[in-house]
Amino acid sequence: MKTPILIGTFALAALPAWAQLQPIPADSIRTILLQEVAISTKRHNHQQHLQEFYTANKAATTEELLSRMPEVSFIRRGSYGMEPTIRAYSASQVSVTLDGMRIQGACTDKMDPATIYIEPLNLQSIEVQTAGGSAMQGTAIGGSLNMKLAEAELADEPKLSGAVSTGYQSAANAVLGGLRLNYATPVWGLRASGTYRNAQNYRNGNGDKVLYSQYEKANIALNGKFLLQDDLILKADFIADDGWNIGFPALPMDVGTAKARIGSLSLVRENEERRWTRLEARLYANRIAHSMDDSARPDLPVRMDMPGLSRTSGLYVEGTTAPGANQQLSVRADASASYLEASMTMYQEGQAPMFMLTWPNNRQLQSGVAAQYSWQVNAKTQLQLNSRLNVSDFSVTSREGRDQMAVFGSTGTERQFVIPAATVQLSRMVYKKLKASISGGINGRTPTASELYGFYLFSQFDGYDYVGNPDLKPERGMQGEFTLSWQEPKVRVQATAYASKVENYIVGAYKPELSAMTMGARGVKVYYNAPYALLMGAEASAVYNINGYTQLVSTLKYSYGRDAAGEPLPMIAPLRHVSSLRKYFGDNLWVQGETEIAAAQHRNSESFGEQPTEPFMLWHLRAGYQKETARKVWQLNAGVENIFNVNYREHLDWGQITRPGRNMFVQLSMGF
Amino acid sequence: MKKYNWLTLWALALIAFFSTGCDSEDVAPMPTINYQKIAEGQTETADIKVEVYSTDKLYTGYNPLHIALFDAASGKRIEQASIKLQPMMHMMDKQHAAPVENPATDRAVDGLFSGAVVFTMPSGEMGSWTLVVEVEADGRKTKATVPVTVFEPATSRLKSFVSKTDGAKYFVAYLQPQQPKVGVNDLEVAVYRVNNMMDFPAESKLTLELNPEMPAMGHGSPNNVNPVHQSGGHYIGKVNFTMTGLWHLHLTLKDGTEEAGKVYFEVNF
Repeated sequence: MKTPILIGTFALAALPAWAQLQPIPADSIRTILLQEVAISTKRHNHQQHLQEFYTANKAATTEELLSRMPEVSFIRRGSYGMEPTIRAYSASQVSVTLDGMRIQGACTDKMDPATIYIEPLNLQSIEVQTAGGSAMQGTAIGGSLNMKLAEAELADEPKLSGAVSTGYQSAANAVLGGLRLNYATPVWGLRASGTYRNAQNYRNGNGDKVLYSQYEKANIALNGKFLLQDDLILKADFIADDGWNIGFPALPMDVGTAKARIGSLSLVRENEERRWTRLEARLYANRIAHSMDDSARPDLPVRMDMPGLSRTSGLYVEGTTAPGANQQLSVRADASASYLEASMTMYQEGQAPMFMLTWPNNRQLQSGVAAQYSWQVNAKTQLQLNSRLNVSDFSVTSREGRDQMAVFGSTGTERQFVIPAATVQLSRMVYKKLKASISGGINGRTPTASELYGFYLFSQFDGYDYVGNPDLKPERGMQGEFTLSWQEPKVRVQATAYASKVENYIVGAYKPELSAMTMGARGVKVYYNAPYALLMGAEASAVYNINGYTQLVSTLKYSYGRDAAGEPLPMIAPLRHVSSLRKYFGDNLWVQGETEIAAAQHRNSESFGEQPTEPFMLWHLRAGYQKETARKVWQLNAGVENIFNVNYREHLDWGQITRPGRNMFVQLSMGF
Repeated sequence: MKKYNWLTLWALALIAFFSTGCDSEDVAPMPTINYQKIAEGQTETADIKVEVYSTDKLYTGYNPLHIALFDAASGKRIEQASIKLQPMMHMMDKQHAAPVENPATDRAVDGLFSGAVVFTMPSGEMGSWTLVVEVEADGRKTKATVPVTVFEPATSRLKSFVSKTDGAKYFVAYLQPQQPKVGVNDLEVAVYRVNNMMDFPAESKLTLELNPEMPAMGHGSPNNVNPVHQSGGHYIGKVNFTMTGLWHLHLTLKDGTEEAGKVYFEVNF
């Protein structure tokens, strides 16, 4: 991409420089583009300033970057491995992909969302799509999150470039080391990056150490790019991500090891002259091995091991063409196969180990076709259609697994789900620079492996063992969204309201006749289809360029959810506001003040035993300085997060565990 | 042209869909019956050779026994005979018998007459077991007495209780599952009433309630089926195990609506 542009956490309408590669951007797409350090030193424009806004803490993890997006929230059980959600939707209602590739977590307790396998160092951009835009990525009710991988660069002359960085964060006594190398020639390029992180238990706002919040991980990413023809590129990607000793203070177990191996091969043809201006075909495979471990925890009545394994392979083909003037059509066909297994072995002295399959070996075959059609009807009006038809087949593949499922009286474990999705979006300039967009559509999602086949999966959140139900129906959603945006060079304001009704809402029902397997559990819940749930909310954002060197960015979001009985849904974030003011002092130094405000959440779910959450207000201060010498670029970033050492927790944080207190960070990088 | 591209995409998707490999279906091998000879002897008339087989050593509890008869002179297998089994425990000052199931038919199946004996204690210092096999073949009635050794199993397969309703002692023998698995298992127990030291009729009028428990964890399992009487004192139901390990199968035996007694069996796998 020649002109790296941030559409922004608050992406506002169309961006001409992007339009040549992408479909005409819809209001429902939000993207963060992360720029190479090397490039960012050469240009200074507002978009770049804006982008750096939220990558200011260069030691940030992908999770921290994501949490800056107004639509994204995280369900937090530990300092690492947080589960991303979009708006008021639950994590299982959201599709998370890595550069279009599906990855199934191997952890029955959702400790390994796909977002942990990528580091900011090998992340090119994050695309969050709401409403119907997610249809291209997969079946989801709440939208999609796709992380684009950084690619090798090509150059006219052979050239080696790269960067070395190191960082420190005080709250968790955490260190970070990163290395990025790129070798470029006119016809091929190779990019390698590595990141190492090691964090100790962090201190919360009371100065107390939060036990079991440590983690250690290493990530290596390789990308090769070969120019086969002028417009045809062969790409190969490989990521190895290893985590050790990842603590989950809100859970009774930690992660001993988590290993991910992710690889893909793709062919991309980009040529404006051709009928299909862009064509991509990709083959991919990944394997996640995850093992939970409680050896660090004292005084447990039973010790246990919980290993899990997930394997996915798949392919997709997508293309973009212009069927007529001012029209664009993108189509995609994808298919994947995933295999999951997870087990639990409990040990008690003097007894045979107790073994069970927590995920009976199961397989999910998925295939779908999707199309996105955009039409610039006239200068003021734009129409977009999104659709997808998805077929998935689930089954338990081993005799042991089926024997186990028979305990709950299930006779068949094979299920097929056909999920159609379609959305229409209409945008129009209604008054001067005021643009209105309205969209409506239907969508759905398949139940997850846990919801279908889970076997006594303990949830620390409500204290129940969860049992899957192979007879579940898929969730069906109806969604509407309305956006107003005002855009001019100095000010951009956007507000969105959305509402959706999710039928066959999947949730656990307490079964008093079943006895809990986990010691101390309150009982057993079996998944079932509740009649419906209502989810709605709104986001607003504003970017104000006060002058060329001062910029204000504000976001506001609110979500609301209730079930058919009128009870609040759990894990719904309260009203939340973030404002940042950044000032540049010359071209080399900037300082940014930030405030985060979250209202109290008293709409907590009683049936989940969810607690209300207190309001909080945080202040952060960040600064960056950079110096260019003839051959090197030095960058220093430093700051203080949570300056007033507030002891707080977000509503989506499990287990009343408070977040880090005052955190001083410093990061130094040298690019060449 | 557009249509063609669309079809190509579909075709690729379908190829991927169908080329995603097949699952390995593990098929349990057919169990092969491995008979062991427990004892052999000759009838008092010395014209019939008696061989006693079982699938394992003999243990306290329910033991299927298979009897083979041979003509002592010709060595030919006898296929038609009426057989009665009479186990006897010889102790210092007394002797007693044990519950039995005599072969149901006069015709051998695969050359064997199959019955069962519920040994109520192991052989040892307390005393030793003999098995009397009464044979009635070709109109002649005779018997063979062979010594047998009964071992105590690692986990008890025979329990007893004194009924709170009629004051009699009852034996409860565990038959199934012999190879327990995580999942649904057939459960079979047999109940005998002790009328006297020599008479142990099968008991068919009790109602059994099953409650499996994992003592290490304190939990049970769902959807079990209480054993109900089938025939000959055998009660059959279903027991569900949600994991491997040590389970206690608690049985409450009721006489009508009144509780007669409780026993439990350990299952460890």
